[in-house]
Amino acid sequence: MRSVSKYFDGGETVANYKLDLEVEDGEFLVFLGPSGCGKTTALRMIAGLETPSEGEIYFDDDRVDGLAPADRNVAMVFQNYALYPHMNVRENIEYPLKVRGVPPEERDERVAETAELLHIEDQLGSDPAEISGGQRQRTSLARAIVREPSVFLLDEPLSNLDAKLRLEMRSELKRLQNELDITTVYVTHNQEEAMSMGDRIAVMNEGTIRQVAEPQELYKRPQTTWIANFIGSPPMNLFEGTQQNGTLDLREDNTLPMKGETASESVSLGVRPEDLTVSPDAPDSDWTIQGTVETVEPLGEYVLVNVDVAGSLVSVKVPTTDVRPGQHVHLLFEPEDAYLYDGDGMLVA
Amino acid sequence: MSLENDPDGWFDRDVDWEKLKAILVFMVPGLTLFAIFSVYPMVYSVGGSFWVWDAFDPMHFVGLDIWVETFQDEAVINWDNIKELEYPMGALPQNLIWMVIHVPLSTFLGLGLALLFSDLRGRRILRSMVFLAFTTPTVVIGLVLLFVYDPQAGIFNELLRTIGLEGQVRNWLQEPQLSMYALILGGVWVQTGFSMLLYSSALAGIDPSLLESARVDGASRYRRFRDIIWPLVKPVTAVVVIMGMIWVLRIFAIVYAAGGPSGGPNGVYSVLGLEVYQSAFSHPIEYGRAMVVALVELFIALPMAYYIARMD
Repeated sequence: MRSVSKYFDGGETVANYKLDLEVEDGEFLVFLGPSGCGKTTALRMIAGLETPSEGEIYFDDDRVDGLAPADRNVAMVFQNYALYPHMNVRENIEYPLKVRGVPPEERDERVAETAELLHIEDQLGSDPAEISGGQRQRTSLARAIVREPSVFLLDEPLSNLDAKLRLEMRSELKRLQNELDITTVYVTHNQEEAMSMGDRIAVMNEGTIRQVAEPQELYKRPQTTWIANFIGSPPMNLFEGTQQNGTLDLREDNTLPMKGETASESVSLGVRPEDLTVSPDAPDSDWTIQGTVETVEPLGEYVLVNVDVAGSLVSVKVPTTDVRPGQHVHLLFEPEDAYLYDGDGMLVA
Repeated sequence: MSLENDPDGWFDRDVDWEKLKAILVFMVPGLTLFAIFSVYPMVYSVGGSFWVWDAFDPMHFVGLDIWVETFQDEAVINWDNIKELEYPMGALPQNLIWMVIHVPLSTFLGLGLALLFSDLRGRRILRSMVFLAFTTPTVVIGLVLLFVYDPQAGIFNELLRTIGLEGQVRNWLQEPQLSMYALILGGVWVQTGFSMLLYSSALAGIDPSLLESARVDGASRYRRFRDIIWPLVKPVTAVVVIMGMIWVLRIFAIVYAAGGPSGGPNGVYSVLGLEVYQSAFSHPIEYGRAMVVALVELFIALPMAYYIARMD
């Protein structure tokens, strides 16, 4: 995609603004972002269901943004599966082959193959209304992959499934994509899905791509405070402060040593909840922040301690703790686990 | 009855007599109205069709005589003209011809307009304009047709003159072999509004992602219509077709307004409703004949009503 933009209502609504993105052959790319960030519109432009207002879309070296969906050899799975209610599972899967004039014998063969791949051989004669959500999802996947598309587009395909099925389908999808090696673009607002499935993730907000990175890098080096806030559960803690004369002044007498620039500047310091430790005694380190414990939530796997630092809540993930609400504590972290963002929210160090 | 003679366990069943009583009480008003206004007139007509009437009093029993007379009446069925395919053919065949032409035309026009308007700007205004004809009293439609087909001032003839078909200008409602079709067009104009409205709501009920999915699957505009839209609006088609047939069967005001109680010159566009009216309200009053014609209408309409009622 080369600076692709999409406007609605005569330019009043900007759905996408100057998207630049390259997806490798066989790659699994995830569009991740909150509702209304334009990720679905971006997907629909790739599918050909929307025409870009500006910009160009290429599949390999062929420009496709003027082509109808049918001429792009893309397959799409919709959030609500979009199964044709008057056709049974077999006819649904067969339909794209039928409209493309594939002879009946070959159709039968390919439907059988695909159904086997997705474990829905037994449902072929059923109507969509008679099968479970998971089976509908599989049918809709089967319909998409049966004609071996060059690009596979998925629009929040798991959001209508219950939690257990979602996990199951997640690994199933990943397996399929590995097996078939089809270039895949996947839209979701669920970061866990994005992190677990994507080869790369394009984080979107307000119609633009904020960062494209591999899941680990996205987590380790979020490029803006917005992404830092969006990725992770609970998200990264951000401390606002001013940087001057080699120190970083956070509110309420928390000063951290800081090398580098001398100019006074407002900045944010980001630390992930799991990189913080909490201790009632003053530790022997310059990298501490003081606060008061608000709540302690034992969650089994870890304990979540919410600490009030200068009026804002800071989350700390620790394996165990003996601090109690109301206690004055020190939050300790290693300088290499901290991220510094400038006044515009961009990553500095 | 003893319990031993009760293999189904009817008496063991937990029948809530209080509830049953309540249900019956609530059904009484509705059933009473249904009995007075539907069942009684039907039974009365069936009975009455075997009697010669003096005004509203049955005089003497004549058996099937009136039925036989009615079917031999040229105003109802004109066998000679049917063989020649010439109007007047009689009210019954004319009514059926009206149905055969009117129903497919108004159905397909309605579907076509609904499809055309479905993603058009200003579709609400366009739909309202088309639907307006259906909301207009049919008597008024008949009057409008009189004006439309008027040989001097009528817009239809004016149109013919404009496009250079001066020779075709005529009073369309007085041409025995053509006037029926001229009136049918008026009926189609009315009914199209209704079928368009039903189809529009059926189209709006189709999940847009189905059509998008079909587009991505590679279906052309025509295939999307044939494979997705048409099967999904099929139930509506059944309603549109049957409602159209019933509408044509009951047609009266348009014909009356355009051609008076005789149904045009020599009854060339007379219909069953007009025959009922003439028998019952103009001299000589033949109440039995009116009942027979009305019953013929009923027998044609009943299976259609039954079909509609059985639909999910």
